[in-house]
Amino acid sequence: MSLRFPAALVLSLVILFLIGPFLIIVAASFSAGDTLAFPPQGFSLKWIAKVFTVESFRQSFVTSMILAIGGTLVALALGVPAAYAMSRYRLPFAETVRTIVSAPVIVPGIIVGLALLRYVVVPMGMPITLALFLAHTALVLPYAVRVVSASLANLRSDIEEAAILLGSSRLGAFFDIVLPNIRGGILAAFILGFVTSFNQVPVSLFLSGPGVRTLPVDMLGYMEIVFDPSVAALSSLLAFLSMGIVLAAERFLGFSRYV
Amino acid sequence: MFQNRNEALLLALPAAVFAAVIFLVPVAILLSESFRSPAGWSLAPYWAFFSEPLNQTVFWRTLKLGLQVTAVSAVIGYAAAFAIVSLPAGSKGRMIGLVMLPLMISPVARTYAWIVILGRTGIVNQALHGLGLTDAPIRILFSETAIFIGLLQLFLPLMIISLISALENLPRDVVPAARVLGANWLQIFWKVVLPLTREGLVIGGTLVFTGSLTAYITPAILGGSKVLMLETLLYQRVTVANDFVSAGVIALILVVMSFATNLLLKRIATVRTRT
Repeated sequence: MSLRFPAALVLSLVILFLIGPFLIIVAASFSAGDTLAFPPQGFSLKWIAKVFTVESFRQSFVTSMILAIGGTLVALALGVPAAYAMSRYRLPFAETVRTIVSAPVIVPGIIVGLALLRYVVVPMGMPITLALFLAHTALVLPYAVRVVSASLANLRSDIEEAAILLGSSRLGAFFDIVLPNIRGGILAAFILGFVTSFNQVPVSLFLSGPGVRTLPVDMLGYMEIVFDPSVAALSSLLAFLSMGIVLAAERFLGFSRYV
Repeated sequence: MFQNRNEALLLALPAAVFAAVIFLVPVAILLSESFRSPAGWSLAPYWAFFSEPLNQTVFWRTLKLGLQVTAVSAVIGYAAAFAIVSLPAGSKGRMIGLVMLPLMISPVARTYAWIVILGRTGIVNQALHGLGLTDAPIRILFSETAIFIGLLQLFLPLMIISLISALENLPRDVVPAARVLGANWLQIFWKVVLPLTREGLVIGGTLVFTGSLTAYITPAILGGSKVLMLETLLYQRVTVANDFVSAGVIALILVVMSFATNLLLKRIATVRTRT
């Protein structure tokens, strides 16, 4: 069935509204002019090149990468066993555990950041980088638990019970039987967690210090002072990076089945 | 199903303890601080907060924008989801991909684009001037309209995706059946489609509404320092005035509103599907 004219028109307008701004940002990042404008004045790669020379962008990019990769790995290390306990064991207080673990999704990030700063960082003298790392881990934990739980629910539990009957230890059954089968779910959780953490602003707003800033917070600060296309260039680069990761995951593993 | 309770606790506790210590306890202290005044526990900070006209304005603006964005995204979402669901499989997949594409792009970048479009020398003003409709550039940035547009663009994909999955579960022949029985399109929507896709609408609505209430980036970039929403007000109270009591009050308002929305919509979904 092909679309009738009004439906096709509505759909085109919606897609234009959703994608258009992104295309404008991409076009603006190849501008030769000195201010952010559309249509771009001429063509050059100078703003793309400039992104790599801004010292604070380099620093905050590394910070954001460490937070996104490290925080998500720790969240998975905590979340996978928790998800396993909730799906395969008669866990006491299972609902309470589920609520506590998934609460960070419901509470606005800015409050998490402020609370950590005021009641953990300042009174305990915790380094701001550690606080930032823990906050990003807590933020990703609900996604890790939820996606891995979904993946475990799709895996029949009698195969690991069979492995145990055949003499495997419970730990052995987990690593030999369960883990290879939920690999895709874990990867999906990792990508979802990575993107969430990398793009997160409110949690990191208050948890910044000299030389410690995540990339999006740094971009927000930069665009308040300088109105040139370098933020546009950086945005396009980041967008292509995250699209590349998601497309690769989709192509090789069928990522979308798990989300 | 394994029966060993200790083993289960051993597996689940690290995550629960981590979330409790890093997250629940500090947030609970922050929220409780909003009930503290020099004389002891009281609601005085709340009276003080709501007696300021600026705070009232910001509170109602946040609520209003949240409702507007949710309502408009529901209307557009149904139209778009209908169109996408009736496409053949291949192009349907591509369209869903296009709708989800913005979700992978940093919200900072997505919001930043609106400066180029809505700014004084932006595309909209150039077009209006070119058509001879305006003499001087009109001010669209740093207004509620700009925030509305930015929020809508940010959250519309979530509504469309939720409605697509709801519409895909709609039994194939209900719409043609209603049509044969003489219903017009409005009746079909109200009496057939809406009741059967309510759950998707509720899920999408919750995501959009709570997302809009707790947005920071969009009002920060498109509202500027004058047109505040609750999150930007919170940030300003803390950084400009070191005012942690107001921050606690705003935090509690935000937490209560997003919890209440989740509970209320969950209730609506279950009650309506039962009848």
